[in-house]
Amino acid sequence: MKSWMVVLWPSFLMAGVAEGVFFSLVNPQELYLLGEVVDYPPLAAYSIGFLAFWALCSASSWLTCAMHTNAEAVNHLPPHHGVHQ
Amino acid sequence: MSTPPATPDVAASLYEVRQKIYPRAVHGWFATWRWLFVIGTQAVFYGLCWLPWNGRQAVLFDLAARKFYIFGLVFWPQDVFFLTVLLIISAYSLFLFTAIGGRLWCGYACPQTVYTEMFIWVERLIEGDRSAQIRLDKAPLGANKIARKLAKHAVWLGGSFWTGFTFVGYFTPIKTLSFEVVTMSLGGWEVFWILFYSFATYGNAGWMREQVCKYMCPYARFQGVMFDPDTLTVTYDVDRGEPRGSRSRKDDHRADGKGDCVDCGICVQVCPTGIDIRKGLQYECIGCSACIDGCNQVMDKVGYPRGLIRYSTQHALKEHWGWRQMLTHIVRPRIIIYTVILGVIVLAFVWGLGHKSTLRVDVIRDRGTLAREVEDEQIENVFRLQVMNVSEQPQRYTMSVSGIESIAINGPTEIEVPAATTKSVSVAVRVPEHSAKKGTNTIYFDVRSLSDDKVSVHEKARFLRP
Repeated sequence: MKSWMVVLWPSFLMAGVAEGVFFSLVNPQELYLLGEVVDYPPLAAYSIGFLAFWALCSASSWLTCAMHTNAEAVNHLPPHHGVHQ
Repeated sequence: MSTPPATPDVAASLYEVRQKIYPRAVHGWFATWRWLFVIGTQAVFYGLCWLPWNGRQAVLFDLAARKFYIFGLVFWPQDVFFLTVLLIISAYSLFLFTAIGGRLWCGYACPQTVYTEMFIWVERLIEGDRSAQIRLDKAPLGANKIARKLAKHAVWLGGSFWTGFTFVGYFTPIKTLSFEVVTMSLGGWEVFWILFYSFATYGNAGWMREQVCKYMCPYARFQGVMFDPDTLTVTYDVDRGEPRGSRSRKDDHRADGKGDCVDCGICVQVCPTGIDIRKGLQYECIGCSACIDGCNQVMDKVGYPRGLIRYSTQHALKEHWGWRQMLTHIVRPRIIIYTVILGVIVLAFVWGLGHKSTLRVDVIRDRGTLAREVEDEQIENVFRLQVMNVSEQPQRYTMSVSGIESIAINGPTEIEVPAATTKSVSVAVRVPEHSAKKGTNTIYFDVRSLSDDKVSVHEKARFLRP
C-alpha cells in the first residue's frame, strides 16, 4: 500500500504541474498527433494529457523506488547470507 | 508486493503495519475554530459553483474554451503569469504562517484535515465515540455491525459523490452537469473524473486519513525548515508536567514530587495522527491542537491551571516567558522579510489585475508576401493582426499605423470583435517609396476601443522595403 502511495502520489502532483504548464502554453486543438490533427473533445484531450503525464511521472517515481532498494531486497535473499554480504 | 525477509529494520519502517487510530471526540476553543474552518471552506467549495455572475457561472474553469472565469475576471492562457504569481503568493503565505504559527494550514484548512474531520463526524454519529467504535470493530459480525458499517459507508460514499460532482462542476458548468446527471447523458470523461475525485475523497478521508499526512504529504517533510525557536507550535510544557503520574485528588502532587501531567492519555487518544505530544515536536503533528483542548478539559476537571499543552515556542518554554514576551519575539527578521516580500508581490498582483488590459493585439508579418510595389510608387506590406477582446462585451476597435512619413492602412480601419473572442484580420500597410529606408523600418500599430479611449494597444512591427 505504502509503496503504491509513494509512487502514485508525487507523480500525481507533478502531473498536475506538467498539465498546467503544458496546456497553458499549448492548445491541444492546434496539435498534431502522429500526423493527424487532434480532434478529440477538449475534455478528452486534457484528460488523456493528464493521465499520460501521470503515467510518465509514475514511471519515474517507480524507478526511484526501485533503485532505492538495497541489494539484498533485490536478490530476495535472507539477511547475512554468506557470499552475497 | 511481497516483503523480503531481508534487513528487518528497513523492512519494518517501509512496511509498517498501520494501527487504526480512533480519535476521541474533543471540545474546546481550537475544536470550535477547526469546525468553523470546515464549514467555511466547504461552504465555499460546495456553494461557489452555483453562484451566477453576468449570466454565467461565477467561478468556472472552462477548459473547452480555454478560459478561466473568476467573478468579473476572465483569464486566457496568456494570463498564465497571474496563475504563477498566485502560486508564489500561496507559497509565501504558507512560509509566513508556518514560521509564525507552525502548521496552521494542516490543522485547519487542508482539505485532507477538513474531509477527515467530516468523515470522522459521520463515523461518530453512526458508530458512536472512540470506545464504542473500538468495541464495534472487535465485535463479531452481526446484524448491528453490518447495519452500522453499511450506513457509514453509504453516507461516506454519498458525500464523496457530491464532492466529485462539485469538483467537476468547476470545469463543466454545474447546471449543465446536473442536467446531464438527471438525464443520464454525462460524457465519458465527466463520469471518469466524478468517480475519480469521489473515490479519492472516500479513500483519503475514510481510509487513509493520517497516513496521507505522514507518508504522502510533501509539505510535512519540509515544514521543519520554516520552524525556528520562536515559532509557535503545539507544545507540552515538560517542566510543568513532569514527572507525570496518576494521583489521588487529595494528594498534594507537588509535595509528592509529581508534575501536573496526570498521565490520563487523553492527549494521545484525541490525536488524529496517533502521536504522543509529550515526546516533543514530531513531524507527524499536524498542529490541529486537539490535544490542547483535550488536556485543558482534564486540567479543568482536576483543578489545575490550563495550558499544560499549549501554543508556545521553544524559546518561551526554555526561558519561562509569559505570553507577552513570547509574542514580542514573533516579530523577528525572518518574519519581517517574509511579510515585506509577500506584501510587495500581493500589491504587484493586485495592481496587475486592476490594470489588466481588456484588449490584446499580436502583430504577425504575413509570410506569404514580403513586400511588394503597388501603384503610385508605394510599397505594401501585409500584416496579420490578432485582436483579442478579453472583455465580456462586444467591442469595436479602430486601427492606425505610424512610424514612417505618410504611412497608411489600405482598407477598412475598424473591426468588431465579439465578447471574449479573438479575431484575426489581414491589414495592408502602404508607404510612399521615398519615405521608407531600404531594409527594415520600425512601425507601430495602434488599436483603440471606440467606446473607451483608455483601452488601447501600441504594438511594434517591422516594415520591409526591398
